Amino acid sequence: MKALTEHLPVEVMPAPSQVSIPLVQHMGKAARPTVAVGDAVKRGQLIAERDGAIGSNVFSSVSGVVKEIDKKVTPTGSALHIVIENDGRDDGVYFEPLQNPTARQVIDRIAEAGIVGMGGAGFPTDVKLTPKNAVDTLIINAAECEPYITCDNRIMLDYTDEFLRGVRYLATALGLKKAYIGIEDNKAEAIELVSDAALFSEEETGIEVVVCALKTHYPQGAEKQMIYAVTGRKVPVGAIPSAVGVVVCNVHTALSTYYAVKEGEPLYRRIMTVTGEGIVNPKNIWVRTGTLYGDVIDFCGGLRQDRRVVKMINGGPMMGTTVSGSTVSCTKTTGCLLLLTDSEASTLSPSACINCGRCAKVCPMRLMPMYMDLYARGGDIDTAVKYGLSNCIECGCCAFVCPAKRTLVQSFRLAKKQLKGRKK
Amino acid sequence: MSYTVSSSPHITEKNNSTRRIMLDVLIALIPCVIAATVFFGYHVLINLFACAIACMGTEILTGCIIKKSFSRDSLHSSTAFDFSCFVTATILALNLPATMNVWGLNIVVGAATVFSFDTVIVCFIGSIFAIAICKMLFGGIGRNFANPACTARIFLLLTFASSFVASQTLGSFGFVASTGATWLGSQYKLTDGTTLFNLFIGNVGSSAVGETCVIAIAIGYVYLSLRKIIDWRVPLMIVAWSAVFAFLFDATIVQQLPLDKGLLNALANVMSGGLLFGSVFMATDYATSPNTFPGNCIYCFGIALLTMLIRVFAAYPEGMSFAILIMNCVVPLIDKYVYPKPFGYIGNKNKERGL
Repeated sequence: MKALTEHLPVEVMPAPSQVSIPLVQHMGKAARPTVAVGDAVKRGQLIAERDGAIGSNVFSSVSGVVKEIDKKVTPTGSALHIVIENDGRDDGVYFEPLQNPTARQVIDRIAEAGIVGMGGAGFPTDVKLTPKNAVDTLIINAAECEPYITCDNRIMLDYTDEFLRGVRYLATALGLKKAYIGIEDNKAEAIELVSDAALFSEEETGIEVVVCALKTHYPQGAEKQMIYAVTGRKVPVGAIPSAVGVVVCNVHTALSTYYAVKEGEPLYRRIMTVTGEGIVNPKNIWVRTGTLYGDVIDFCGGLRQDRRVVKMINGGPMMGTTVSGSTVSCTKTTGCLLLLTDSEASTLSPSACINCGRCAKVCPMRLMPMYMDLYARGGDIDTAVKYGLSNCIECGCCAFVCPAKRTLVQSFRLAKKQLKGRKK
Repeated sequence: MSYTVSSSPHITEKNNSTRRIMLDVLIALIPCVIAATVFFGYHVLINLFACAIACMGTEILTGCIIKKSFSRDSLHSSTAFDFSCFVTATILALNLPATMNVWGLNIVVGAATVFSFDTVIVCFIGSIFAIAICKMLFGGIGRNFANPACTARIFLLLTFASSFVASQTLGSFGFVASTGATWLGSQYKLTDGTTLFNLFIGNVGSSAVGETCVIAIAIGYVYLSLRKIIDWRVPLMIVAWSAVFAFLFDATIVQQLPLDKGLLNALANVMSGGLLFGSVFMATDYATSPNTFPGNCIYCFGIALLTMLIRVFAAYPEGMSFAILIMNCVVPLIDKYVYPKPFGYIGNKNKERGL
């Protein structure tokens, strides 16, 4: 499934005539707009600033005029969007590039450039880089275990040098002399290229980069599983990685860190994979944040007319969220736009659980999905928690193997929401 | 154009469905059906057919009654079409004698029974009991607390105790036809080469036609294990523990055999009765076995212990189905207390320290 795009070098998608930039592209509170309708903005100009400790700055991805500030649909709900009409001049404003930055400078730059975890969660990277516990290990999560997605793989192949420099900036920020890159062994080319390049560039910076080839096994890229595979440490139940002295960052976060530090470029664009049987020309592309899915699809040749596209997914097939229409915008965390046809997507309706126990066998967190589902649906959240509900990482392995096609993850998400609501 | 909005994951494993699993179990049962037909005659197929029809009909009917709707939709959504009722039917048919004589309705020509109406009626009663009472009343597929076929067999065994006599084999392939007495029921438990060979190929009298042929059961076991339908360790654990207890109880305590004879006795014990058939096809039933490997260890130990206790010390020569039924009832308890600790579990002490 990765074969659709893994051999395609990254192309640059031209800026669309209009972008619609959501102010929630990260975990935490929405950013506060700093521009008003009618203002002229430049590419890379701050248009909404961070509000609170967990949050992020948002930048314009084109130069032009603010046309509208309004609430619109995002993949996970709704948020204020700033709509900017592109004047085509593409004037940019950047930060001052940094030479040999200190840890503090890197962290400050990451904060002001609006860099967040670009693997999908969107947690502010500067917060991650200033953990409460002492950290001795930096892991770059390059597993990319989800089927179809290839953008991290392409970054490592096409931007090897930039990526490795970014990794070293992240290590610098944490005051470390060593960083690990965990790559699944189905990306042999990337493993070889990155290992060689890491050896070459070690001397000038004094930071060692070690590539760990990991078994190709979904969900190898899940944070806790990645940490266990690379360091052998188990993150305690309910704790974050820094509890065992580890910080995990995504490949693209490292790349964006490079651009922010070395070139002063704020985060207004990213590399994404557009794929699935439903698209005419699957591609890996540089896309500006705020570009509508519809524009991305047009750039990739449109939808295939000979197939029936049933699902448009923001993210991968295992953990991505579906969107109902193509008026949703790309954000800092949109790593993949997946168009699944009826032959790829699961469309069977669920039947009764036969208690086969396959879900428990495949659960990477060693939970009991069949009982969690049974009790969650019955309204007995406490018993569902006993069987592990609150430790569920929603990877989807259980629902993938379920012969009865039960919508397990859906019921866990709902039950978690109910649990959260009850605690308040 | 708008698209389907749903929760992840958006793809599922291909060629994986409840029906596919049940089909695999049916495929695994084919060798046993063939062996039973060879050794006990065409009556086996008649019984199988009767059970299949009765199970399917009962499942459709009870489903509609429970839903209080006989519309086309409720017929279409019936769980009867996932083939699980055929699995129950096949296992039940293989757990009955080839022919029974209860009401004297059999068509007998000379000394041979040509068509056994009695057995067909018994098959119907057993099927209705298995599906309506054991399965559907407890919530249908996946929610039954006991194996339907196993419970139905015990129900029939207790109800028609006097008619549940072991069928004798036909003497196919030039083998000497068996007398009908099972190895477990015979007074002098011989363990010479011929006896062991007959036990192995299945040329022994039995009140459950499908359980005699070791080869056929082994083929089914290998198929189910390779297809990963069952956990291959479960039948092995039951057989191993049973051999241990057979040696302890039967050979050592009761018969006080010397070591070599005792080991042969344990081997014969394992190969006779419903032990192998039950451990492969009945003890591995999804709904009625624990969902974890440690849980299964307890379950297998319990089945083996109870089987041998009943066989050696109780009034019934055969104990497998009773043992399975009893352990089925223990399964909810096992699953309540034996479940895996989540990845990264650190115990309560550390949790209090706020880690």
